[in-house]
Amino acid sequence: MKRFILKRVASMVVTLWLLSTIVFMVVNVLPGNVARKVLGGQALEEDVVRLNARLGTDRPLLTQYWVSIKRVFTLNFGDSYKSQVPVSDIIFPALGRSAKLALLAFVITVPLSIAAGIYAARRQDKPIDRVIVTTGLSTSAIPEFVTATVLLVVFAVKLDIGKAYANPPKGTSLLGELEYLLLPALAMSIAYFGYIARMTRAGVIGALHADFTRTAVMKGLSERQVMRRHVLRNALAPTIVVISTSVGYLIGGIIGVETVFNYAGLGKTMLTAVNSSDIPVLQGAVLLVGIVYMVSTLLADLLIAYLNPRIRLERAQ
Amino acid sequence: MSTAQTTTSVLSERKQARREQWRLIFRRPSFIVGVVIVLVWVACALFPDLIAPHHPLNYRTGKHLSPGWGHIFGTDSTGRDVLSRVIAGARDVLKIAPIAAVLGVFFGVILGLMQGYLGGWVDLIASRIVEAFLSLPVVFVALLSITTLGRSNLVVIGVVATLFTPIVARTVRAAVLAERDLDYVTSAKLRGESKAFIMFREILPNVSGPIVVELTVRMGYAVFTVATLSFLGAGPPPPSPDWGTQVSDTYNNLIADFWWPTFFPAMAIASLVIAVSLIADSVQSVMEGS
Amino acid sequence: MTKQIATSDATTTIDTTPSGKPVALSVEDLEVVYTVRGVDRVVLRGVSFAVASGEAYGLVGESGCGKSTTAYAALRYLPMNGKIIGGHVRVGGRELTTMTDDELQQFRAHEASMVYQDPSQALNPTLRVGRQIIESFTLLGHDKKEAASLAIDALKRVRIADPSRVMDRYPFQLSGGMQQRVVIAMALACNPKLLVLDEPTTGLDATVEAEVLDLVRMLRQETDAAVLLIAHNLGIIRGLCDRVGVMYAGRIVEEGPSAQVFDDPRHPYTVGLLRSLPRHGVRKTERALATIPGTLPLIGSDLPTCVYVDRCPLATELCRTEVPPIVPIGNNGDRFTRCHYPDQVVAIEESVASVNISVLAPSAENPGVLELSHVSKTFKQRNHSIPALVDVELDLALGETLGIVGESGSGKSTLAKAILGIEAADAGGSVSLDGRVMMGSTVGRSANDKRSMQMIFQNPDSALNRSWSVRRILMRSVEKLTNIKGAAANERVEQLAEHLRLTPRHLDLKPRQLSGGLKQRVAIARAFAGDPRIVVCDEPTSALDVSVQAAILNLLADLQTEQKTSYVFITHDMGVVRYLADRIAVMYLGRIQEIGPTDDVFNGPNHPYTEALLSAIPSVDGEAVSRIRLEGEIPSPANPPSGCVFHPRCPRVIPGVCELTEPPLLEVAPGHSMRCHIPIEELIELQRKPTK
Repeated sequence: MKRFILKRVASMVVTLWLLSTIVFMVVNVLPGNVARKVLGGQALEEDVVRLNARLGTDRPLLTQYWVSIKRVFTLNFGDSYKSQVPVSDIIFPALGRSAKLALLAFVITVPLSIAAGIYAARRQDKPIDRVIVTTGLSTSAIPEFVTATVLLVVFAVKLDIGKAYANPPKGTSLLGELEYLLLPALAMSIAYFGYIARMTRAGVIGALHADFTRTAVMKGLSERQVMRRHVLRNALAPTIVVISTSVGYLIGGIIGVETVFNYAGLGKTMLTAVNSSDIPVLQGAVLLVGIVYMVSTLLADLLIAYLNPRIRLERAQ
Repeated sequence: MSTAQTTTSVLSERKQARREQWRLIFRRPSFIVGVVIVLVWVACALFPDLIAPHHPLNYRTGKHLSPGWGHIFGTDSTGRDVLSRVIAGARDVLKIAPIAAVLGVFFGVILGLMQGYLGGWVDLIASRIVEAFLSLPVVFVALLSITTLGRSNLVVIGVVATLFTPIVARTVRAAVLAERDLDYVTSAKLRGESKAFIMFREILPNVSGPIVVELTVRMGYAVFTVATLSFLGAGPPPPSPDWGTQVSDTYNNLIADFWWPTFFPAMAIASLVIAVSLIADSVQSVMEGS
Repeated sequence: MTKQIATSDATTTIDTTPSGKPVALSVEDLEVVYTVRGVDRVVLRGVSFAVASGEAYGLVGESGCGKSTTAYAALRYLPMNGKIIGGHVRVGGRELTTMTDDELQQFRAHEASMVYQDPSQALNPTLRVGRQIIESFTLLGHDKKEAASLAIDALKRVRIADPSRVMDRYPFQLSGGMQQRVVIAMALACNPKLLVLDEPTTGLDATVEAEVLDLVRMLRQETDAAVLLIAHNLGIIRGLCDRVGVMYAGRIVEEGPSAQVFDDPRHPYTVGLLRSLPRHGVRKTERALATIPGTLPLIGSDLPTCVYVDRCPLATELCRTEVPPIVPIGNNGDRFTRCHYPDQVVAIEESVASVNISVLAPSAENPGVLELSHVSKTFKQRNHSIPALVDVELDLALGETLGIVGESGSGKSTLAKAILGIEAADAGGSVSLDGRVMMGSTVGRSANDKRSMQMIFQNPDSALNRSWSVRRILMRSVEKLTNIKGAAANERVEQLAEHLRLTPRHLDLKPRQLSGGLKQRVAIARAFAGDPRIVVCDEPTSALDVSVQAAILNLLADLQTEQKTSYVFITHDMGVVRYLADRIAVMYLGRIQEIGPTDDVFNGPNHPYTEALLSAIPSVDGEAVSRIRLEGEIPSPANPPSGCVFHPRCPRVIPGVCELTEPPLLEVAPGHSMRCHIPIEELIELQRKPTK
């Protein structure tokens, strides 16, 4: 098991390096004068030169690359072009806000989706199963901003439930915050319900058709005992994979919802940065999400390895 | 002798069964619904002038009329007919998304084949790169690219295709790994077939199932992503009737209870993505059945 | 006895079996269908039999006969698309077909148990073995502590040496034989009235299989459960079962005491089946194997009144219009057959051709075609190396068949790969064709070398590219292996097809549309596309039914006579290797332990391992061979024992000698070599008497 952990962490480091390289390449694909872009076509030449020197964008590309890699591994993303505030000061709090939303969405959707997936799997091909699958398929297919828009219209505007503008003012109690975050979290939940439910369903169906389930039934165990002790234990792995990958997607896909509800999370921050061509913030945001995704995948892999006796006991031959 | 007859009838029975299986897909309600919806939008994309009652940019009619007889979907804040704009907007999405999906699948298949069959260093390095790409959120990277590379359809197609390639490669690689150790591959090696021959002529036909499924699924995601990007401002700017642009243009009016200029384009997006997903799901079920 | 026999498929009421003991399992006129794509396909067409307490009944048949379905139906476990549409299943007098789910659950927990075909899949991979056995006992009402000690007892009962250690293990940490013992232990937990075993030893090595069968035999004496054994291997049935039912296309066509049925079959199918087996040590030089014309019906096909009519040598119009009656044989009332002409069955001629094959062994006039010299293959894995082949020396003459036998880890598959170059042999070893050393890897070999050496694989499903038509498969091989292209190549393809009895129609089909036997013919045609000198056959008939196997073996023998092709024939089936091979090499842990002419190897004297292998064969003929039991498990090739690798399990081990040095391969008789420290004269003496 130790070996496995080391291997995975090592590969994560490599992947992180590659990630940073890719982002760096995207940013620097087009040759261009960074300061010129920021200050605009009318700015004075000397101001441009000065800004370039300050930003460090006048140095050779390879040096810039090396600097950016070093920075990533120390979680220092440079300073914002627009406001000269360190990028970390902008994106980390934003991440925190997005994470709050994601967590709420998580809490709402995961138990429900898993339950729905198991329920559907046990009634495979019956009408209710088809309904759950098709519903899940449809809802997960709808872009989050569409769901967010519909929810906003139906609940906030027409029914006056929840808030259309999701930023809770400072000092609101936790419960009060909930009211603000409810609709956006719901939008996220709807989007991920289908995906998790379908994956859980597939995992449970696979376990239901396995030989060891047949053995359990033939032993004379009741349906509940078979499900609890044999089927679910073995169906767990694919479900964990799905949940872990959705963590990354939650943070990534949140941008549409945040925009519709004007929520100051990472997504909205990114959008603002796009409009002002604030590249360090953009870079930082992308990298940050990438790191969150990689870490959650790593944790998921470790969890699955731990649950798999073959890997945990490591070649006990 | 009757033995031959039995054999013949048994064998042709099997062939019959396979054809039936493909007919099955046409009977599935979800498939039919999906195809119908897609066809409707394709028609709108191809012949907007024939189908739309008004010109999408024509703002001579009254402003903010709620949905009613003259304008089924109402009019927007500048008086344009929402229905006509929705019909006209089909073209933008359908121009970009399928190309991105096809490109992504094309390169993904090649990469996946090479990873799965050649293995070794190729697989090791490619897997790390794939993993890196997979941790990038598509929309975020697309926005970053658009900021640095400029807003254009080409950039959107390029980014989406590039980000889809690793996803497809992962699926294809898994399918190829399952085939690689089968005896027909060994037999090909014993004949002296080249690696390229084995990858493309022997293995590829046998992984076509997962590839087709992946193509349909990617189509759905492509529409999804392209619509989201144009909502976030990366698409054609207003007054374009592009659906995402329409939504981003009008959602600020929602609070004032002018819901229809936002709602109908949003529904259009939803319907297209759902339709493609239903098709993808039906294809997958039929493939799995075999 | 209240058995009523009618001349049709009417129900029979059975209270006691012919042996007079009370009936534990009674199946009457059972009809089962599977619903496939909306159509009901008949799988069991009225199956009737009875098993008494303490009796073992075997159901034997080929693919699609419905024996597994019957086994599962006896516990009323059918797949989601299966249903019982007629008949009765009674265990201990209780009717199963009308039980509620709760009753069924109680029944399975307390009265009936099953042992499965693949024990590695039958056990839950995420739970420790102990927990799974304990569960069987807590189900019966014991508390955890009682259950734990009962579990240990259960493991001891199945002769597991260190039960507490095994309890702690996960299934994947146990060998196949161990896993099956665990499954058997779980099955016996409730002291069942009915014990069903579905192909319990398929997939286990020969020596391990023999152990498990011995165990079942012993356990039978300890309980008086009724035992229902499903197998396709007639030898196993004979060795274990008192009575046997022969199934074909969902019907029992003959039933009776096993010895009688196998020695004196009274149904045309049973006759055909037994004749297609290589029995009584028959060799290819004596005669071809009898085959049954036609093909096995697919499960669920529509069949006329007598299910066997399309393939039966005795068939007449009557057979197509009237259902054959159940005809008793003998006066004990314990045998019957389902045939209109049971008296004519004994007279069915053996229409087999006698063959003129001359046995060719390497000699001065007949130089070896293939030579392996000091061939070793070591696989490197992180920190250890696995010697899969160690110093193998072989030669093969023109037109000769060399049989390679061995169990898992013997290295026989690696040997095949090394010969063909799929895995390059280690440096220092060489593979030579016609005296010319070949490149280690296929890639480096000349086109001529490639066409001279081809392979036939075990599994015809994976051996043929399922997306290609048969024609394309053969065309490609012809074009690539010879230099013939285009129309000439097409002609050659048609010639090949004809030669292997494939019709032109078959050429346009895809492998999916062909039966196993036909697929294997295509694979053979493909291998022979370039007129190879040597064909390596890796278990080519193991995945085929017995009657199909006979046809393929005949085909291989014919091709060999015609083309003077040499075969390296790898198999685990001793009957088959005895039939086809001119010489046999026995491998264990990557080394050849014995090699010699077939008759010499089968008659003895033998290497102790060969001795054990030969005694492990379950014989259809009921020839009693004293069983030599091997202790322990087959060691992993990664950790071979010191000295003679067989020493930890050898019943004739010489302490102080065998564990120190590896014996060399020495010639003990002309052409017959062995790797053993025991001098040959002593071996001859020792093997004359039984070891027990």
